[in-house]
Amino acid sequence: MPDIHSTRRGRSTRRGLTAASLLITGALALSGCAGGGSGAGGEDGEEVTLNLAFWGNDVRADLYDQALAVFTEENPNITVNTSFLAFPEFWEKRQIEATSGGLPDVMQFDYSYMRQYSENGLLLDLEPYLGEQIATDGYSDQILDIGVVDDTTYGIATSTNAWGLFQNPVLLEQIGVEPYEGGTSWEDYTDWVTEASEAAAAAGQPLFGGTDWTYRIQNFELQLRADGRNLFTDDGEPDFDEDDLREFWEQGESLRDGASAIPGQRLEEIYPLSGFDAAQTTTELTWDNFGAGYLGNLGEGYTELLLTAPPTSEEGSQDLYLKPSMLHTIAETTDHPEESALLVDFLVNSPEAAEIFGTNRGLPASETQLEGLGLEGLDAQIQDYEESIEDRLGDAPPVPVVGYGAIEEEFRTTGLDLGLGVITVDEAVDRFFSEMDVILDN
Amino acid sequence: MTSTTPVTSAGAPEVASAARAVRRGGPISPGRRRQQRRENVAAYGFLVPWLLGFFGLTVGPMAISLYLSFTRFNLFGDPRWIGFDNFVRMFTDDPNYVQSVTITLVYVLVGTPIKLAAALGIAMLLNYRDAGSGFFRSALYAPSLIGASVSVAIVWRAMFATDGPVDSGLSIFGIQLGGWVGNVDLVVPMLILLAVWQFGAPMVIFLAGLKQVPAELYEAAEVDGAGSWRRFRSVTLPMLSPVIFFNLLLETINAFQIFASAFIISNGTGGPGGQTNYYTVYLYERAFANQQLGYASAMAWVLLVVVAIIAFILFRTSRGWVYYGGDSR
Repeated sequence: MPDIHSTRRGRSTRRGLTAASLLITGALALSGCAGGGSGAGGEDGEEVTLNLAFWGNDVRADLYDQALAVFTEENPNITVNTSFLAFPEFWEKRQIEATSGGLPDVMQFDYSYMRQYSENGLLLDLEPYLGEQIATDGYSDQILDIGVVDDTTYGIATSTNAWGLFQNPVLLEQIGVEPYEGGTSWEDYTDWVTEASEAAAAAGQPLFGGTDWTYRIQNFELQLRADGRNLFTDDGEPDFDEDDLREFWEQGESLRDGASAIPGQRLEEIYPLSGFDAAQTTTELTWDNFGAGYLGNLGEGYTELLLTAPPTSEEGSQDLYLKPSMLHTIAETTDHPEESALLVDFLVNSPEAAEIFGTNRGLPASETQLEGLGLEGLDAQIQDYEESIEDRLGDAPPVPVVGYGAIEEEFRTTGLDLGLGVITVDEAVDRFFSEMDVILDN
Repeated sequence: MTSTTPVTSAGAPEVASAARAVRRGGPISPGRRRQQRRENVAAYGFLVPWLLGFFGLTVGPMAISLYLSFTRFNLFGDPRWIGFDNFVRMFTDDPNYVQSVTITLVYVLVGTPIKLAAALGIAMLLNYRDAGSGFFRSALYAPSLIGASVSVAIVWRAMFATDGPVDSGLSIFGIQLGGWVGNVDLVVPMLILLAVWQFGAPMVIFLAGLKQVPAELYEAAEVDGAGSWRRFRSVTLPMLSPVIFFNLLLETINAFQIFASAFIISNGTGGPGGQTNYYTVYLYERAFANQQLGYASAMAWVLLVVVAIIAFILFRTSRGWVYYGGDSR
């Protein structure tokens, strides 16, 4: 009998051990999940790691690296991990993180997604940190209001930008064409692009005068605004119909012949670069803060670009406007709200960051940053440009509807398909409207 | 050991109980039964991680996805029940869906046979003689190992760009195609080529099958005056038909699921002109770029059903053409 007894005890000991080891494993797993939770409140110099995500390219990534080097020198207890993607992919990634609760602590943020993210409780209320970690003295109320949704501040604008037309002086000289003068009718600009492409072909250069500008929703918006409308009304209803859009896309017809402007096939190949980035087009309509990125991608041999007013369909109309080019927000789920706020403050307020970024993010929104910044070269050009178009600047459109980002992207891809000749304008209009209905109703 | 100890070392009661155990049905004593139960518990214990995975990562998500396919769900709010609307929209009101299905079918129906033919051809070459076959087998298998990776898709993209190696190579022969990547007509052939190039896995299986074909069948055929084509038609193919069936099934299902290469080559856009917008790429775009999780779930279920139907059809037709050696069918 004793041997049985001892065997049993042995077994129960073993069972106990198994249970204990299971418990320990479980506990370890759980604590592993919660690992990020420890170390909150690093005021006392505790080591803290923050994640920062932004959209952009290598040029901007390099600027962030430089700026963060200064930040971590000032705050040696904070480590910042960065990640960046191109704009559409950036938002895809955020959507997935938003649902899994894994949003980065600090995000570069776009105006068009503010409503969606704040309404769903994904962004941290910044109110408690304003005037504490985040200095607000450099900001006018108007600029601070940009980050406010339903009376709560969720974001701080880094900078503002306006729609503009970049021209590549080096390429223009190569093909012997005078720059586009700016501010004329859209037909004039289309003719100019066609002539520049012809001149390039005659000079034996694989260049084009521009891109079919009808693939950008902002150009459509400009034409609507010249007509006293916006893309969407205050109630979030589209302020245009099928005929408006058909008429708009038809204006690009002549540029889609494969010779008058850069062919769609080329654009597909060089994506995510644009024709202008790749030095294959001489002009591009886009936000005016893209200049620094262009210079970086164009590389050596480029120190300046021309920045001109876009065409207009109604002279004297206020079709342009200033918008926040980007904001900084903090995820509601962050374990380190205070450190995150410190980082946001550094990015939007510090003169060092301003100096490093120049106008890569747009013209600094904070007066202190702007004043401390001796703008020169391209940056000064952008400032001058925004002053020069003052007469054309109207009220900003209403806060973008939920899903605006997806609508903008749908517009772009539909426009690209038009350029490839795989759909007709009528099909494009049908497709866009049916997609927009789905997105707005989503 | 322990179950016999009481019987030998103890008195009458134990003997009686042992006898009862024998009467109750053979050699299983209570001790042994307890041990068996314990072993079962241990077995389930070891199965727990797998079961957790199976229910937590496969069955659970599938059930949720089935539910979501009947809803409108944007990831943020709560899903809204809309019945069969997603399925109706798919087939009646979404030209992109129809296009996506079309190019996926082209990819599967054209790409899979070419890939299998290439795999069989190379396998037969490797089977032809033994010298150096080990080296060639590994060398030819290598693309399959790296083929699905991100880097290869990026290399592929660069190779087929305007003035890339393929473009320049072809222009030596006077063929001016330009870049394939941005060309609406050439991007599908390009992706099929990428898939065909990864013939290694079916090739290895074919090779194993070929080694199983008895040499005396060939000898007998040869004696009867069969040429090499005849031997291939009447000996190799029938003997290999179970392997061909296996590869066909596997590769067809795989082809339906093409994602990584198309996603990377198009930078996730499905371009040019939607020509790389394969079923799964489109599904991903709907789910995560457009936040239409309900619609994407419905798409996933349609894909599952279609693949199941195709597998079923293949199994049914296999009775007619697959020959299992030694069985009288």
